Amino acid sequence: MNARNIVAKKEFNWKSFFLQWEWLLVCIFILINVINTSLSPYYLDPKRLLDATMTFLDKAFIVFPMVFILILGDIDISVSSTVALSAVVMAVSYNSGVPMEIAMVICLLVGTICGLINGLLIVKFKELSAVIVTLSTMIIYRGIAYIILEDQASGKFPAWYKFLGWGYVGGVPFILIAFAIFAAIFGLLLHKTTFGRRAYAMGNNITASRFSGIQVDKIKVIIFTLAGTMSAVTALFLTSRMGSTRPNVASGYELDVIAMAVLGGISTSGGKGRMLGAIISVFLIGLLRYGLGLKNIPAQVLLIIIGLLLIFAVMIPNLKFNIGKTRKAQ
Amino acid sequence: MSQYVLELKGITKTFPGVKALNNVHFQLGPGEIHALMGENGAGKSTFIKVITGVHAPDEGEIFLNGQKVEFKNPKDAQKMGIAAIYQHVTCYPDLSVTENIFMGHEKIQKGTKRILWKEMHAEAKELLDQLGANFDPKTLMGALSVAQQQIVEIAKALSTNAKIIIMDEPTAALTKRESEELYRITEQLRDRGASIIFISHRFEDMYRLASRVTVFRDAKYIGSWGVREISNEDLIVAMVGREITQLFPKKPARVGEELLRVDKLGKTGYFEDISFSLRKGEILGLTGLVGAGRTEVCQSIFGILPHDKGSVYLEGKEIKVKGPLEAMELGIGYLPEDRQKQGLVLEWGIGKNITLPAIGKYSKKGWLNEKEEAEVAKSLSEKVNVKANSIFDLASSLSGGNQQKVVVAKLLTADLKVIILDEPTKGVDVGAKSAIHEIMSDLACQGYGVIMVSSEMPEVLGMCDRIAVMREGRITAILNRDEATQETILEAAMASKAEAAAV
Amino acid sequence: MAEVTVGKSSKGLNIVKFRELGLLGFILLISIAVQMRNQSFLTLENIDDMITNTAILSVLAIGMMLVIVTRGIDLSLGSTLALAGMTTALTVKSNPGMNPLAAILLGTVVGIVCGAIIGLIIAKTNVPPIIATLGMMNVFRGLTFMISGGKWVSAHQMPTSFKAIATGSVLGINTLIFIAIIIYIVAYYFINHTRTGRQIYAVGSNPDSAKISGINNEKILFLVYTIMGALTGLAGVLWVSKFASAQGDTAMGYEINVIAACVLGGVNIAGGSGKISGIILGSLLLGILNNALPLINVSPFWQNAIQGCVILVAVIVNALVKRSVDRNNLMRRKI
Repeated sequence: MNARNIVAKKEFNWKSFFLQWEWLLVCIFILINVINTSLSPYYLDPKRLLDATMTFLDKAFIVFPMVFILILGDIDISVSSTVALSAVVMAVSYNSGVPMEIAMVICLLVGTICGLINGLLIVKFKELSAVIVTLSTMIIYRGIAYIILEDQASGKFPAWYKFLGWGYVGGVPFILIAFAIFAAIFGLLLHKTTFGRRAYAMGNNITASRFSGIQVDKIKVIIFTLAGTMSAVTALFLTSRMGSTRPNVASGYELDVIAMAVLGGISTSGGKGRMLGAIISVFLIGLLRYGLGLKNIPAQVLLIIIGLLLIFAVMIPNLKFNIGKTRKAQ
Repeated sequence: MSQYVLELKGITKTFPGVKALNNVHFQLGPGEIHALMGENGAGKSTFIKVITGVHAPDEGEIFLNGQKVEFKNPKDAQKMGIAAIYQHVTCYPDLSVTENIFMGHEKIQKGTKRILWKEMHAEAKELLDQLGANFDPKTLMGALSVAQQQIVEIAKALSTNAKIIIMDEPTAALTKRESEELYRITEQLRDRGASIIFISHRFEDMYRLASRVTVFRDAKYIGSWGVREISNEDLIVAMVGREITQLFPKKPARVGEELLRVDKLGKTGYFEDISFSLRKGEILGLTGLVGAGRTEVCQSIFGILPHDKGSVYLEGKEIKVKGPLEAMELGIGYLPEDRQKQGLVLEWGIGKNITLPAIGKYSKKGWLNEKEEAEVAKSLSEKVNVKANSIFDLASSLSGGNQQKVVVAKLLTADLKVIILDEPTKGVDVGAKSAIHEIMSDLACQGYGVIMVSSEMPEVLGMCDRIAVMREGRITAILNRDEATQETILEAAMASKAEAAAV
Repeated sequence: MAEVTVGKSSKGLNIVKFRELGLLGFILLISIAVQMRNQSFLTLENIDDMITNTAILSVLAIGMMLVIVTRGIDLSLGSTLALAGMTTALTVKSNPGMNPLAAILLGTVVGIVCGAIIGLIIAKTNVPPIIATLGMMNVFRGLTFMISGGKWVSAHQMPTSFKAIATGSVLGINTLIFIAIIIYIVAYYFINHTRTGRQIYAVGSNPDSAKISGINNEKILFLVYTIMGALTGLAGVLWVSKFASAQGDTAMGYEINVIAACVLGGVNIAGGSGKISGIILGSLLLGILNNALPLINVSPFWQNAIQGCVILVAVIVNALVKRSVDRNNLMRRKI
């Protein structure tokens, strides 16, 4: 038998390069900016635009792990409750005399534990879907937040804590810098490491992944734990921006976060999508909200727009447009 | 009036990228059992779906009793008296047997449209009695065994008063006794005037039941013959397209010291008291009927299905394998039975598929090294001779045989000592089959210990140094190459429990 | 082949019975425990109160059960309920003379429209139910805020005849309970004695075979979400009438309670199975928890967490029971 030569170099193809989901996002992004500019002369002011990012980036930290979770083909709707619980625990422990630095560590710890519990439950009870597990823990985590703080607010944080949500480093909002750093970390983790490759494999075919020696349970637990940790990071920034916290904070965040990831081209059936798309759609939805705010359009309209965007983002590629075919991970 | 109850002419059906049926013909006479044969992928399944109205053909005509018909949906075909019993039993596990039988043609009261449960249960009971089954029709379908579920499927066909019944590989998972029972029922159906299309790749089924046989190959119609008019050899040629005399190129390998020993391995409900050993350079066959526990034993050694009794020794040392990763690190590799579900990420390129198990090896502290990966993938895919242009070709675009070669290449990325191959040539074309056999033989020559699970008698006899035969979760015989024949193997695979205990 | 293990099948029946008996036992246990702490629990008055409060939940549970049986989920329920309730409240506010029956009809129609939209999306496109209903949850909630301008419709803006829907009685039974009973009878007949009802279970049990059996899967999915919408719309009217107020955030998150009632009642979240008797018990258990916790001086702030834990424990127990049955089946396999 004659051995044939198999090419190991990827050919560059202009057509498939431009048929990527991300270009569609870029087009929508530009469109939103054009509309916003024509609606409000103040919109394009660089200083204001930079400040605008501070208003929507808090929840964006959860988008990164949510991308991983969706790539696994799972979903986590308990993240908003994790935000609330970790914020409440932080505020309460600070107000009972714990130094702020330690309280912040406690916040991260609480979030991580919440995520770990989700992950362990999902792995140990495979009969239960991630939907039902995170649905129950969503009620429980927020329930615990209510037990701790009842209907009170807790705040009076030290002045320096405000820096997280309101501070600047060299004229750039600190939260934007933090977002960029996490974006780089999670982007590299997803696309350039064995961890990311294994996550993609699991999302595409979990059985084949198991037979290939991937420790699927371990990876799943790590990813759900990361979601908890990043929810706590969101809690840190959100509480800093608001100055105090309540048990009902961040409700509905899970929807925003899932919408951002799905709009970014992450398939809900697992295995497909890239971090870049999710990052673009964070800004796309954020700036849309900001622009509508400038024109005093009520927040309810935004609710409706995000809801519709979420459905269309899933529907359009499924309608078998050409563009859908390029939504594969490389 | 036509002499055929069912006739199909020039049927063509194309799916995106695949021509599943290419101008095929078929004629079914009244009251005959007609075998439809062909390798996997020959187009048999699509053909059935055309007859039952699940797929509409792109071209061609269907005649029922000489009348031209067109099925818009499965219901149309059902109304015309066509029923199918599918290969993978297509039941509703959460519903009762009665409902499974009557789904789609429930008995309802005229006017109120109320479902007549009492009448349905009674008729279901009657149908089951006719078929010699005595389970309660109120039982949930999911609680039945595969053989029982198949009886329900047949009862369903009877309940529609079907005149044409299609059976798609019904014997694949049945024991000999269950198969005999099925033969009896099938003949009973024929004697009542039904015409039956019986699909199988077991020659035994065909000789036992059918009066005519039609062969498809590569989505094309090859021919129809009376079962007694065509020789076994000619039929094989018709099915595979060429003679298969040189199918098993086993080279003699030097058999060395013991590599793997399995001692009284057991897993409740799956297998019991499994003991065998494997030496360097040896190919050990593991055969028996589907469902005899062969796959489970292999998966237990590989750490997928942990055993609860007995022990496994690798090179004399006892090993406790917690999962596939440990197994692979110790040097045990497993090629799964279902390459599409267990072996491949179909939407990935073949390169990424090949390197998946060893991804850690080609990385630096967790960072991917895509260049080295591509080189390894290239050299391995050339080594197993995958027919592809680039390592970025999607696994889903390959033929069954080439997909299997990719899965074999995955195994070669690890430093293995023992290679377990579970049905490595199932559903693979002849060319790829002999290529896989050649690879297997080479591996043995290089000193690997190879375990091959296979249901195919010639393959087992041709390739293996020793053959372990399993029946209902136990090993009933371990035969040397010189004492193994088709008869001795069959006897061990089908012996009754009392005899097996004596072995 | 003719050999039959009858034991296996009766085992299957046993799990269902075991689950329901277990649930019933649990309900009795709680009732007795609470009664010992607070004598006013098992009074006629309180029981009537409790059942009235559970009526709306139990009606919604029927719709949710059908959705879950088809392997779906509906997270938009709370929003649909609010939208239907708000529309009705605004209408009766400006037409105080409106017949209460017309008001009920109006709310139901709004619900049907909402459900039909969701049903269309799920049946006709590949958008998974969780995404479709999550998206429409936002849309309907946004619409509720928009039509109300962010304001409440409060008790004194509603005509007495409208508020009387929830407080009145038919044949000596509270209207809410009466409506719930009627709907349960209809649902029982529909699910168990009509073709379409059984087809819902077939689609959930095995969508591929359903197609081969000639069942129109798309039609069934559309129907199921429309029924869910209709029941939610009806519940919206009853809710607004009962609490005598309609707000932008009415019933926010209520879908969780309804899903909980189904899961507690043994509806398999993976689709294919679920019984009317189960969801009655599930709704009742939640109703008792809600009613009993305040009676034994559990702070209302504890209720969420307790409810969540009960759901989690229920699904885990279900999973464990199923595992032990499977293990038993394996042990009994002769080798």
